[in-house]
Amino acid sequence: MSVIEVTGLRKVYGERTVVDGVSFSVEAGEIFGILGPNGAGKTTTVECIGGLRQRDGGRVTVAGMDPANEGSAFREVLGIQLQESRLPDKMSVIEALDLYASFYPKPHDPGELLERLGLAEQRKTYFAKLSGGQKQRLSVALALIGNPRVAILDELTTGLDPAARRDVWDLLEDLRGTGVTLLLVSHFMEEAERLCDRVIVIDHGRIIAADTPEGLAASVQADQRMSFLPSAPFDLAVLRALPDVHSVVLTGERAVVTGTDNVASAVIIALHGRGISVGKLRVDQPSLDDAFVALTTGNEPPLTPGESSAEPSGEPSAEPSGEPSGEAVAR
Amino acid sequence: MSAPSTTNPGTRARLFPTINWRAARAMLLSEGRLLLRNPGVVLWTAVLPVAAAIILGSIPAVREPSKDLGGLSFFQVYQPILVFFALTLLAMQALPDVLTRYREMGVLKRLRTTPVSPGLLLCAQLALILAVAIVCMALMVVIPPLGGAPWPRNVGGFVITYLLGAWALLGLGMVIASLFHNAKVAAGFGSFLFFVMQFFAGLWWQRPNMPGWLRDISDFTPSGAAVQGLTDSSVGHWPRALYLIVLAVWGVATSRLAIRFFSWE
Repeated sequence: MSVIEVTGLRKVYGERTVVDGVSFSVEAGEIFGILGPNGAGKTTTVECIGGLRQRDGGRVTVAGMDPANEGSAFREVLGIQLQESRLPDKMSVIEALDLYASFYPKPHDPGELLERLGLAEQRKTYFAKLSGGQKQRLSVALALIGNPRVAILDELTTGLDPAARRDVWDLLEDLRGTGVTLLLVSHFMEEAERLCDRVIVIDHGRIIAADTPEGLAASVQADQRMSFLPSAPFDLAVLRALPDVHSVVLTGERAVVTGTDNVASAVIIALHGRGISVGKLRVDQPSLDDAFVALTTGNEPPLTPGESSAEPSGEPSAEPSGEPSGEAVAR
Repeated sequence: MSAPSTTNPGTRARLFPTINWRAARAMLLSEGRLLLRNPGVVLWTAVLPVAAAIILGSIPAVREPSKDLGGLSFFQVYQPILVFFALTLLAMQALPDVLTRYREMGVLKRLRTTPVSPGLLLCAQLALILAVAIVCMALMVVIPPLGGAPWPRNVGGFVITYLLGAWALLGLGMVIASLFHNAKVAAGFGSFLFFVMQFFAGLWWQRPNMPGWLRDISDFTPSGAAVQGLTDSSVGHWPRALYLIVLAVWGVATSRLAIRFFSWE
């Protein structure tokens, strides 16, 4: 059964259509990702789903309820972690959780939740003294304290250092299988790749792709790319002659080769035959990042082209993700 | 679970909001605790007028009736002004400051995501600020008589005027918090309005000495009406109906404006 059902959602600010006919549904217990570049309309979409904004068209139901008709029953079902939402500096972690627990009929036990989120030691720490990662975990805790069936988490890891980011991811992995449905907003592909069961990519207010993260990455099947340090100089033509190889270049000492799925073994075998060994080998799979870039820059023709002018800025800008992609490193 | 049975309770809850007393109590405690941890604004607000009222009340010469002040003593003229000084400072500075900061921080928006309305937080803040103001007022009324200064003779009139005045001024503070979304701008405008209020209250130019036309204007300001109502009560009269009506009108008007324009984000 779908917990979230969105059909033809539209939101207009003045002349600008920020969300333009977005439709998708999320199953119970799923971790569902909404991806897209800054200003694509992600936050506006989830704020319409969360009943924080009035939609201008379409239908939305969350657990059978319409967010436009929000009452306390709706708020008890849905927890929302907002982008850039702080707490008073001198409120301690446990005080915040106790306060928010008092709003709900059947809240989680605050102490237990802190334990699970790795904040037990910070129980009595003031909000202002928490690290960025701890603040985000507290924010997640506040979204979950009411025992919601659905939690919306918006740009959870933006601005966190890599270690803190991994902490938050681990936490969300732990939540998988507890029955909570998570709607994750991100412009950060590694996050989606690691956590989400399914994702949609939004650009200029429209869905331009919907798939599993793996499916999406595979859909832009680019060449596989390998690079290595040859033990001795060799003639590049040897590799160019191989059927699996599409291109070979030397960048400094390193050779960079692209080609089919079999390119790595073909290259290694060919060089081995000439007595050259392959050092510091690195093979990059096409990642969700590649798919994302291809989709949002229009290299791969999307379902709808999307108007190119007037970048909508319906959400506060966050730092662009300038992280390196290649996760798949063979040693 | 059928759709109608789930949407109906929601709609009803919005039309007739039931107050979650457990949440209200937790909110009041939480805000009270935060106030105690950041006592700066409140101390600054309370100490100056309370100390001034106590010191003034302890000087015998200040308690003598003066022809310059229309037969009132210096203490009788200044005690209501100081009582209102504290209230105005709290309403014009402390209240908009904390509310605009909560909005900037996203605290109000976060509350919107819970079953509890952010209005509960506003109510908790109003209650706390009013409580602090009443404590200041009580200190200024109760301590000076220990040193020989007079009590307000018409306590009923004094209390009614004070509460109506508090409504008008806190309402004005809420309007500031509604119109200005930047905490610093709100604080600046609050300071400006504070001095305007103090001028009409007679802090620098006592009301008995104002020219008639200026006093007429002052009569229609919340601070002028309140201070004159308090002065009348402290010498034993009932405040003129005009003053109570002026304060009530300001209370209604500012409350309506604040409700109309206050936004959570």
